[in-house]
Amino acid sequence: MVYYEIKKVFSRMSSRIALTLLLVTLAVTCWFAVMGVYYVNENGDEEKGITAIHKLREQKKEWAGLLTEERIAEVISENARINATAQAKSEDFQENDIAYSKKQGFDDIRRLLVYSYGDFNNYDYYLPDRLSPDDAGMFYPNRILHLEEWLRGDAKDLFTEREKQFLIEKYKGLETPLVYDYMEGWLQASQYAPTVIMITVLLLGFLTANIFSGEFQTKADAVFFSSYHGRKKAITAKIKAGFWITTGIYWIVMLLYSAVVLGILGTDGASCPIQAVPGGWKSFYSVTNLQQYLLVLAGGYIGSLFLMFLTMLISAKVRLAVVAVTVPFIMIFLPSFLSTDRIAGLLPDQLLQMNMVIRQFNLYELGEKVLGAAPILPILYTVLTLVMIPVLYQIYRRAQLR
Amino acid sequence: MELEIKHLKKRFGAAAAVDDVSCTMHQGVYGLLGVNGAGKTTLMRMLCTLVHPTAGEITYNGRDIFEMDAQYRNLLGYLPQEFGFYPDFTVEEYLSYISAIKGLRPAVAGKRTRELLRQMGLSEVRKKKMKKLSGGMKRRVGIAQAILNDPEILILDEPTVGLDPNERIRFRNLISELAHERLVLLSTHIVSDVEYIADQILLMKDGRLMHSGTSEEIVAAMEERVWNCVVSHKEASECMRRYKVANVKPAQEQLMLRVLSAEKPMADAVELEPTLEDAFLYYFGSPAQEFAKGGEHHGLL
Repeated sequence: MVYYEIKKVFSRMSSRIALTLLLVTLAVTCWFAVMGVYYVNENGDEEKGITAIHKLREQKKEWAGLLTEERIAEVISENARINATAQAKSEDFQENDIAYSKKQGFDDIRRLLVYSYGDFNNYDYYLPDRLSPDDAGMFYPNRILHLEEWLRGDAKDLFTEREKQFLIEKYKGLETPLVYDYMEGWLQASQYAPTVIMITVLLLGFLTANIFSGEFQTKADAVFFSSYHGRKKAITAKIKAGFWITTGIYWIVMLLYSAVVLGILGTDGASCPIQAVPGGWKSFYSVTNLQQYLLVLAGGYIGSLFLMFLTMLISAKVRLAVVAVTVPFIMIFLPSFLSTDRIAGLLPDQLLQMNMVIRQFNLYELGEKVLGAAPILPILYTVLTLVMIPVLYQIYRRAQLR
Repeated sequence: MELEIKHLKKRFGAAAAVDDVSCTMHQGVYGLLGVNGAGKTTLMRMLCTLVHPTAGEITYNGRDIFEMDAQYRNLLGYLPQEFGFYPDFTVEEYLSYISAIKGLRPAVAGKRTRELLRQMGLSEVRKKKMKKLSGGMKRRVGIAQAILNDPEILILDEPTVGLDPNERIRFRNLISELAHERLVLLSTHIVSDVEYIADQILLMKDGRLMHSGTSEEIVAAMEERVWNCVVSHKEASECMRRYKVANVKPAQEQLMLRVLSAEKPMADAVELEPTLEDAFLYYFGSPAQEFAKGGEHHGLL
């Protein structure tokens, strides 16, 4: 029965067109992810493509290893040395780019300096150019000091004392020195994954919206519900079909996406902490690039399942696919228009962008315990999905013909 | 086998679609006859557990069919009036799917599907998509799905709608074959569909069962007789205002009317043998006075 339920979905021409569109979108996203990485050659020209990726990797690999005080001092010195060259000082952009080509190997670390030495909420790109190697000792202490300053100042009223303490402890708990490596693969894969996940979810909504409303819309309901399994096993088959379609398509798309992006850009830096890249410096979650990516995939999967079961629930209730298909749209895009209240941090759209969740300071107190959104979201929506299944079953089981 | 309906009611808001219907059915063919909107479909849907009654109960061999749940549905075959299907399935796929939801084991389902495809003359179109079948073919698939599980109770709601005369005859013969050791309930508003094959006819009007019995009993229960009257066009008009007229046939310069009346409508009227169609008119045709008031209507069904 599950086979036929799945067949019902994929035998529709519209489903096939939607799947083709998904594949095209996937290809385009992979293209953007890969072409987003560039290498500036010794002439100051930008290169893209697989050879450029290899060259960039080679340069970054030279700076791979522990980000010790000595290594930070080395970066500051090298940055200053290049800044002192005629090319860096020139007013000709091409000359500046030639200077940059010498910096790109340690550019990630240079940008970490911006976060470390700058105020918590300020971004001054040229700040590292004003540092001296003697400042290197403050690289890690600054992270905690600036957080504490921020919590005493701008963020004074944003958190409770317990939450502030939690953040400080988390910052202090980060294992240092950080390990740095070339990690463009993980960065690009994580950055574009939410786009792929959201597009996949929208498509899945289109596919699954019809599973429970199809019988009503095609008037096949009378035969279906008057059959032996019509109010039992056949409903379970629909639920299973929804689950397998979601699971199958989600993982095929995401594994394909991961294989292409990581296959081309490389999997180096999997065990580096996310704080070793500029975008992750402030995160209070101690996770590696690999763990972050797995979280993105797992969150996306749980989010997809939740949204698909919600779509099927609405579809079974209102008996119209056209209404149900809007559910993923609403759940993904509506939160953008809501307030930035902490509740928004627990909405299902967050699961589809876990890489953002682990960069945000959404904290929740459960009794005396403080938790970030990242561990709450997967559990919360797994439970809600599991609760929805018997509700969906009962709605369909009790359906009467109108 | 006994399917019993006890004081069954179904209301939709203020309107009663089925109003205190009671009857008992055993093996054989039952024809549920009534005009459109009489409540036939609602009654059948309740018999198929698709709609819950507002009051009353339906029992199969003494057990409530809603409590029997799947056990009852296992005995059931149903062809709804609006036979919906999965347009992108082929005939074979559709029947295989219905076999699955009817709980047939795959080996049995395959054999049964092949058997029915042959029996229904669908073998050649078995790979054709359902949406590409003609109306008659779709009906045949509809019947095939209804009898896939070899049901003890076969409920057919307006099964001949959209069929051409040949297919209608073929279908009637098929029903007669299927009636063996089964209870077949067939709803229709076409008298000839049930006249020859139904053992018992149930007449339904405004949600109520008005009368039931064999074709002969129903005809015999009429309180009006049937007359053949040859009249002029002017007299015909008057006749139609006063009586229920079952048929009008031109006869040279005059008209030959089949009139229902307790009394002899005119001196030279000749009494005829009443048929079930006359009975249908007798029970469901509006009173002659109402037509007379209506002005533009006449007593012809």
